Parts: sequence; C-alpha cells; structure tokens
Amino acid sequence: MNRRALDTLAGAPGRMADPKPALLARTPPANLLGDRLDLAGAGVFVAIMVVLPLVIDNSYLLGVLSVALIYALWAVSWDFMSGLTGRENFGHALFIGAGGYTAGFMNTVWFIDGWWSIPAGMVVAAVFAIVVGLPTLRLKGPYFALAMLSASVIMERLMLIFWEYTGGEEGINGVEPLFDSPLAFYYFALAVLLVVTVALVMLARSNWGLVLRAIRGDEATCQAAGLNVTWYKIASLLISGAIAGAGGAMYAHYQMQVSPQVFTVVLTITVITMVYVGGMGSVWGPIGGAILLVMMTELLRDFGEWRLMIYSLTLILILFFLPEGFIAPLWHRFKARLGANR
Amino acid sequence: MSAILEVSGVTKRFGGLVAVNDVSFSLAAGEIAGILGPNGAGKTTLYNLLTGFIPADEGSIVFQGRQLRGVSPHRIVRMGISRTFQLCRPFVGMSVLENVKVGGLAQPAPPEGRDAHAHRLIAQVGLSGKEDMPAELMAYGDQRRLEIARALAASPKLLLLDEPFAGLGSGEIAELSALIRQIHADTGLTVLLIEHKLHEFMKLVNRVIALDFGELIADDVPERIVTHPRVVEAYIGGNVPETEAA
Amino acid sequence: MVEILIQGAVSSAIYALLAVGFTLIFGVARILNLAHGSFYALGAYATYLLTTYDWPLVPAALVAIAFVAGFGVVMERVLVRPMRRRSLLAVLMITLATALAVEQLLFLSFGSEYRNVPALVSAKYTLFGVDIAGQRLLTVVAAVVLIGLLWLFIQRTRLGSAILAISQDPEAAQYMGIPSDRIFSIVMALSAALAAAAGILAGPFLTVQPTMWLLPVVKAFAIVVVGGLGSIPGSILAALMLGYAETIVAYLASTSWTEIIGVLATLLMLIFRPAGMFGKRAAF
Repeated sequence: MNRRALDTLAGAPGRMADPKPALLARTPPANLLGDRLDLAGAGVFVAIMVVLPLVIDNSYLLGVLSVALIYALWAVSWDFMSGLTGRENFGHALFIGAGGYTAGFMNTVWFIDGWWSIPAGMVVAAVFAIVVGLPTLRLKGPYFALAMLSASVIMERLMLIFWEYTGGEEGINGVEPLFDSPLAFYYFALAVLLVVTVALVMLARSNWGLVLRAIRGDEATCQAAGLNVTWYKIASLLISGAIAGAGGAMYAHYQMQVSPQVFTVVLTITVITMVYVGGMGSVWGPIGGAILLVMMTELLRDFGEWRLMIYSLTLILILFFLPEGFIAPLWHRFKARLGANR
Repeated sequence: MSAILEVSGVTKRFGGLVAVNDVSFSLAAGEIAGILGPNGAGKTTLYNLLTGFIPADEGSIVFQGRQLRGVSPHRIVRMGISRTFQLCRPFVGMSVLENVKVGGLAQPAPPEGRDAHAHRLIAQVGLSGKEDMPAELMAYGDQRRLEIARALAASPKLLLLDEPFAGLGSGEIAELSALIRQIHADTGLTVLLIEHKLHEFMKLVNRVIALDFGELIADDVPERIVTHPRVVEAYIGGNVPETEAA
Repeated sequence: MVEILIQGAVSSAIYALLAVGFTLIFGVARILNLAHGSFYALGAYATYLLTTYDWPLVPAALVAIAFVAGFGVVMERVLVRPMRRRSLLAVLMITLATALAVEQLLFLSFGSEYRNVPALVSAKYTLFGVDIAGQRLLTVVAAVVLIGLLWLFIQRTRLGSAILAISQDPEAAQYMGIPSDRIFSIVMALSAALAAAAGILAGPFLTVQPTMWLLPVVKAFAIVVVGGLGSIPGSILAALMLGYAETIVAYLASTSWTEIIGVLATLLMLIFRPAGMFGKRAAF
C-alpha cells in the first residue's frame, strides 16, 4: 500500500490537475466589503429568481428555468468535488442516472410515494460513488476520470440491454410529479439549490475546502503532511454524487419519465461545460453557467441538430481561452473594482 | 536526555539492491544530528522508512517508545514526525497562510486556534507580511522557509529535513542555517538533517551519521567525521562534497 | 467450440488493434486519448464515403487510414499539445470534447442511421468445419500482420528505438537530442492508423453510426488497465482475454452480459493490481 504513496512522492511533479482555477476559491484576507457584496449579490440573485415567474407568467419560461435549476444542482455538485480537488469526474451522469432510475423504479414499479425517491436516489448514487471511487481515487493518474466515464457508459448500455426491465430507449414513463403545480416545483428546486449551494460554499471555505484545494495543489505533499487524502476525496465524491442523485430523482419526477439519456456522456460533458463557464472551483459559479447554457440551448432550438456540435465547440474554445470560466471571475473582478479583496 | 528515536538493524531492499543495510543508531531528544553520504547512500530511503512511506524489510524503528513498523504514514505524522523534501513543493494555488494551515490539519486544533498558530509559525520562519502571497510565486529561499513552517505546523517532536540548503545561494544558506538553529533552540525539537553542503552542515549539527551504499560507516561529532578514513574514502571515491560554501 | 475459438479471435483482433494504439500513445506521450474511438469511427466512415464515390475498396481503405492518421497528427499538434503544458486532465478534457465534436460532425454529415461499409472480402470460408465470413478471417490476419509490423518497427528501426527511449524516460531522451515532438506526431499517426484499420475491418460486421467511438474507448481503457498502461504485450494479452471472455459468455449465457465483463475486470484489477499485468515498468 505504501509503495504507491511513494510512487507519488518520487514521481516527477507532472501536474495531474490544473492549479490555476483554484485561485477562485482562494481566500485572501476578507475585508467586510467582499463578504457583504457576496451576500448582496446572492440576495439579488435569489430575489430575481423568486420574483421572475410571478412577473412573467409564461409556462415555457418556467419550464426552462426549472430545468436550469436542476442542471445547476448537478453542476454545483460536480464543482465541489472535481473543481476543488482537480480530480475531474468524467462520469457524473452515473450519479444522475442512479437517482433518476431509482426514482423511476420506486415510483412506477413499487408505487412508493415520490418524496422517498430523493433520499433513495441519494443513497443509490452514494453506493455507486463508493464502488467506483474507492478503488480509483487512491491511485494517481487518470484512473478515476476514466473509470467514472466507463461506469456511466456501461450503465447506459445496461439500461438498453435489459430493456424488458428498464423500458430500453423509451425508459420508464408515468413517473408521478412531486407537486401539482409547476410553480411549486420551481420554488422547491430553487430552495434545494440554494440550501445545497450555501452548504457547499461553506464547506469549501472551511478547513475541508483547504484540504481539497491542497490536494489539487500537490496531492503527494498533502499526504506527506499527514492528511488522509483518499478519505477526503472519497468523502467529497460521496457528497457530490448524493446531491447529483437527488437532482436526478427530482428531474425524473419533473419530466415524469426516465430514459437512458440520464447516463450519457453528453450529459456529463454538458454539466462540465457549465462548470467551466461558471468558474471552476468557485462552487457557486456553475449556477450561472447552468442558467446561461440552458438559455443558450433554448435559443439554439432552431438549430436543432447543430446544438451538440455547438456545445462541443464551445467547450473546446473555453478550454483554450477561458479555462477559469467567466462568471465567477467576472464577479471577483467586479468586487475588486469596488474595493473588496475577496 | 532519553532516546527519542531508536533505529535498530533496519534493512531495505529493492529487488537485488540493498538500499539500507543493517543501519542502527539512536537519537536523543533535542539533538540536531546530520546524515551525510554521497548520492545513492540511502539517506532519502531512510527518511522514507522513518516516515512510513515504505516498509522496512528487517529491523525495528522505535519512536518515543512506540514501534513504527506497519504504522501508516498519517499516523506517524500524528505521532510527531514531520519531514520536508529535497524539492520545494508548496501547495500551488494557495497562499502562504493556507499552506501552513494545511500543514497543521492533521493534528487537533492547537489551543491558540489554527489561524493564530499558523501566523506564529510564519513569523517564526521570517515570512511575516507574506501570509497572503501565492506560495508558488515566492523566491525559492522563501519557499524553503514555508516548507519548514508547514512541517512545524504539525507540532512535530522530530523534524526530518531533506537537503534544506539545496538550490540556495551562500547567503541564503547561512540565513536558513541560523533559522534552523534558532528554531531548535526555541522549541527543543529534535532535528535530523540530510545535507551535501558540508560547510554549513558541520556548523549546524552536533553529530553526524555517515552512510555509504546503505551502510552506516561512521557516527561521530563533525570534527572527527571529516578525518574518518571510511568517510574520506567514500567521498574521494565518489562525489566530493562542497566543503566551502563560497 | 471451434466457433468460439474463431469468433473469439476476431473480437480479440479488433480489441488488440484498438488497445495497442491507445497504450502506445500513452506510453510515449502520456496522453490518454479519449478521441481514440473517433479514429475508429472516422476510419469506417471515410472508407464508406469513398465507396459512395465508387472508389474501389482497397484504395478507399488505404486513403481513409492515411486521412485518419493525418487527422490524428493535426489533432495532437493543434488541440492536445497546448493542453499538455497545462495539465494531464486538460488533455483528457480536450480529447473528450474533440470526440464529441467528431461525433456530431459525423452525425450532421451522415445522419444517425447505420451505414454500410462494404466488406473487403465477401467470400465465406469454412475452417475446421465452421463457416466464417472472409471479412472476419481477414480481420484476424490483418491484426496480426499490422501489430507484428509495429513490433518489428519498434524493435528494429532507429525511430523505434527513439520511441522506446522516450517512453522510458522522456527527459533523458530529450537530452540525447531525440526530437520528442516529432516522435509524438509519428506515434499518434501510428496509433490513429491502427484504430482506423480496426474500424475499416470491423465496419462491415459491427455497427457504423456516429456514436460508435464511445464503446471502443471504454473497452480500450479496460484492456489497458488489465494489461498495464503503456505495455504493448500487456495490451495484446488483455485484448485476447477480453475478446475470448466476451465470446465465451456470449455463447454460454447471452450477449447481454458481455458488457459487464470488461467493467468487472477493470474494477477488480484496479482494486487488486492497479499496475495491470505488466505495469508501467515493462513499457513495450
């Protein structure tokens, strides 16, 4: 076991993860202005999101925003683990699908009330996180990223192969909605997103977050400092996965159906793109990324077939020119202009 | 002064190569001792054995009366052994303060609070005022100080330094040497030091353990080490260490 | 029984072609190319495209392989190399994005229905009492020949020695004046060519559709985990193991369960022996 640890020490410092984006979560000394601006900004955002559907009575818009909120949940959860530690998870859809199908099965096969599927989805996703994460996160190298990718692809295949049980491509239909009114679901999703984001941001700013960022900075040295690096990685993956699973369950109840789409690589890439746009490592930035990208998708509706192509090209461009994203960095620059330094 | 560390008959093989061969020595609490040896003598391997990163094939390592064989590296740090590395490796993307704080996270929070503790250590190594600098942007000499502060953050009883003077100019070496001496004097910490640069090294330590090809060839005070026949042979035969830190 | 032997060989052949290229570029350039499957797909589609212009099959196949090799080189230079300076994960990310872009390109150009890549050999043969399509037989032969040629190339030529040197110690190789960048391009071209060949050989009897890149990548990853990242002999051996394991399961149980094998093998390997059978030490 320890030989492996030695490998990480003696090996060349070829960096596994890109260190720069973690600057976003960095905490220079707070002057109160920075914190107050953050609170103000969050307040404004929440106010807008609460009031918007009341002011613009458009069910289409409501639908788009609701979906955006769920994507935001997925993106924020991804950023908390991968954005902070730099160990990128290429199979986040595994957790999303786990939550989705759990909800689907529970609701349509076992006729369990929808409200149980969220915690159940979280548990199933957490189990997946352990099964895939435990063997791979203790290794250096790309094993974790690819194992997650493989796992999500295989789950997608399995849903198709065992179509008699899973409904195949059509998936599971007839999942009951959680609320009678779409507006109620919207506020529910908003509330969940806010609670989760606040909790994760606080975790990221705590000592836990320090360790995660140290893992990104130099994992071997972090281990040498006496910290059980693997434990931290797995714990954050568990949190990340459970939240994504909850989102998946919510999504299933919202769409009233689950299909193998929730396990696809495309979904994972979409979520990752949202994180890149929002600001890797900021935890809250991906909310903006999600809203922006879902809006963009709607606007690109007319381009139908070209959507995914535009997505992938966008991602490539972002990787080249804006790897730190732009929403969170923009906010930081705005605050700096006003005199804050956090 | 009791022995804080007892190394007995420790041997480590990597395949056919014997990296550490039946090495025995003990360190008294509060000593500053040095480990001397040409490249490949087994010095870093010894550190890796002491910190639990690799298991010894034979022999025992007892720290403060407790057997270290089979203990995981995390627990060894928590028991009180910290080390630095030959190449400075700060946590990239984090400030000096954050770097030092992380160093202390393996231990329970000190009574003064983690922040105050970190600030104090940063002051102790002479980096006051630089708490918020990104660690990777500092001059190499400062990064060395950061490494030491980070190692000290874990409140060690035994500090293992691995070539702390590597990559430093002569002025910086003198300063760092003074710092190490100061820390040792202030805290009574036991310090073990690997170095090539004989000049400063000899002034800093009160005892030298010399290794060659994994074997302990001498264990004595600095003045007698430089004339010890096997030490001289090891060095004349191989790399001649810098005796003048000009 | 004989059927299993032969079909297993066919599967293994395709897997070997894919895995060897995948592990080759990793061993030399430390690039885990998630777009490796795109080479596979592009090989099949390019051949298909040329045949719709009434090109005879063999020239079409050769041109397609050349094209994909060129594509690989360009991709490495333009997209991957800038990311290498940043981090290994940036490389993973860009190859993944590229793979998706290529998939979409194929989708937009050809649609999502399955395409028909004609077989190079349409005759059927009987071997040891078992009927086998000539194309499948060709696959096995071609795989053996191509991999054999690659092996000879690495062991016997100067360029091959350079490749070996870089894979063992990139820095030292550079100090010795070996032009790493040019070698990366060559290795990428070889890697892409092998994958493209697999696509062309398998095209006639496996599905050709835009998403065909994904599963080969997952399988290639499984194979190199079992065989050992960076080890060609390991990849070949593991490809054989996977090919036969899948075939046996398909015959004894059902095809549905074959997918799980690769995943299970990967998981178990990662738990018990992450370095794989031949690990990093035995690169090549």
